[in-house]
Amino acid sequence: MRVIFVLIALAVGIVSGLGLTWLASARGSNFGAVQIGAWTAWPKSGTVNADPYARATFARAGELPLGLGDGIAFVATADNTGSPLDGRCDIHIEGRLPLARFWTLTVYDPRGRLIDNVAERYGYNSAEVVWRSDATMEIVLAPRARGGNWIPTAGRERLVAILRLYDAPVGFGSRSGDNADLPAIRQEFCP
Amino acid sequence: MRTYTLPLIAGLVLGGLVHIVTTLTMPRVASEDAFARLARLGPPNVVQLIPESTPTQAILPRMDPAFLSAICVYDLSSAALRVRVPTTPDYTSISFYTRYGLAYYALNDHAAGARTIELDLMTAAQRAALPEDEEITAADRLIVESPTSEGMVMIRVLVRERGLRDEVRARLAEASCSPTS
Repeated sequence: MRVIFVLIALAVGIVSGLGLTWLASARGSNFGAVQIGAWTAWPKSGTVNADPYARATFARAGELPLGLGDGIAFVATADNTGSPLDGRCDIHIEGRLPLARFWTLTVYDPRGRLIDNVAERYGYNSAEVVWRSDATMEIVLAPRARGGNWIPTAGRERLVAILRLYDAPVGFGSRSGDNADLPAIRQEFCP
Repeated sequence: MRTYTLPLIAGLVLGGLVHIVTTLTMPRVASEDAFARLARLGPPNVVQLIPESTPTQAILPRMDPAFLSAICVYDLSSAALRVRVPTTPDYTSISFYTRYGLAYYALNDHAAGARTIELDLMTAAQRAALPEDEEITAADRLIVESPTSEGMVMIRVLVRERGLRDEVRARLAEASCSPTS
């Protein structure tokens, strides 16, 4: 009986421990996350004070985080209502952007690869995007071609959008609050 | 049912320990981390252009396609390095990472304010060993201290519009890192 107890304890321990690590390093953690609308940033991940979960996540993915002295990356995997970004829908990313020397918006698949398309259009930067006269902009992620700022999604079921602000004012993103204005994400015409 | 409570609790406690240990050791055991991928591009202490990411192949995940990038994987164990990067009109940044991918320093063309950014990268011991008079003459010299003897210098330049890509790439190709002695 005692042997069975030890075996159960060992099995439960190994499975739950490795499972937790696998999940945490695949999904990222909430430590030090700054959430603004649909967007989340981990400013500390771009410093030597990155938490152990961030370090494990980057090591496993083979990713180099954006250094905080360089810029800050806001990641969105869902829209403002919380539904996952679906490349079969029309995804509108619309609004104002905070002060930064440059920003780029790029769309990836969940493994961090660019989305294949004939136009080789993977995103927009602040210099090439078409702005509206009221200093707002709208970028549409959609499977079919359309006018304006369009990023093709090839109908992928899951997308990740990353908004990177380069040379942003110091302290931006160090706290969540009403100081930051990030574009809203809304999906329509989902299958 | 009660007979299984104790082994279950013991198992969950063990699971917590396994989780903590595996999370903390992950950076040390991950064989496909950024350093390993970038080190395959060529020998250390030389600037290598990173092939632009495409949907089918990318050296690192989640690279920003608006930028052209180059990397200098360094090993300071024999000598300090001098890093030279020509700036471009738009946005040029140099980010420094440790062997395990922690960003410990970054600067950009605005912060540097020169047409060519030039800096010396060395360990704390190498900096301490600098002759004193050299430290004085080098007052305008930028010194970056690396916390580890191995690491990576990522050089990135923004391409404002597609037509400028070749011009920007030629500029980036002039970047260099080489041992100072």
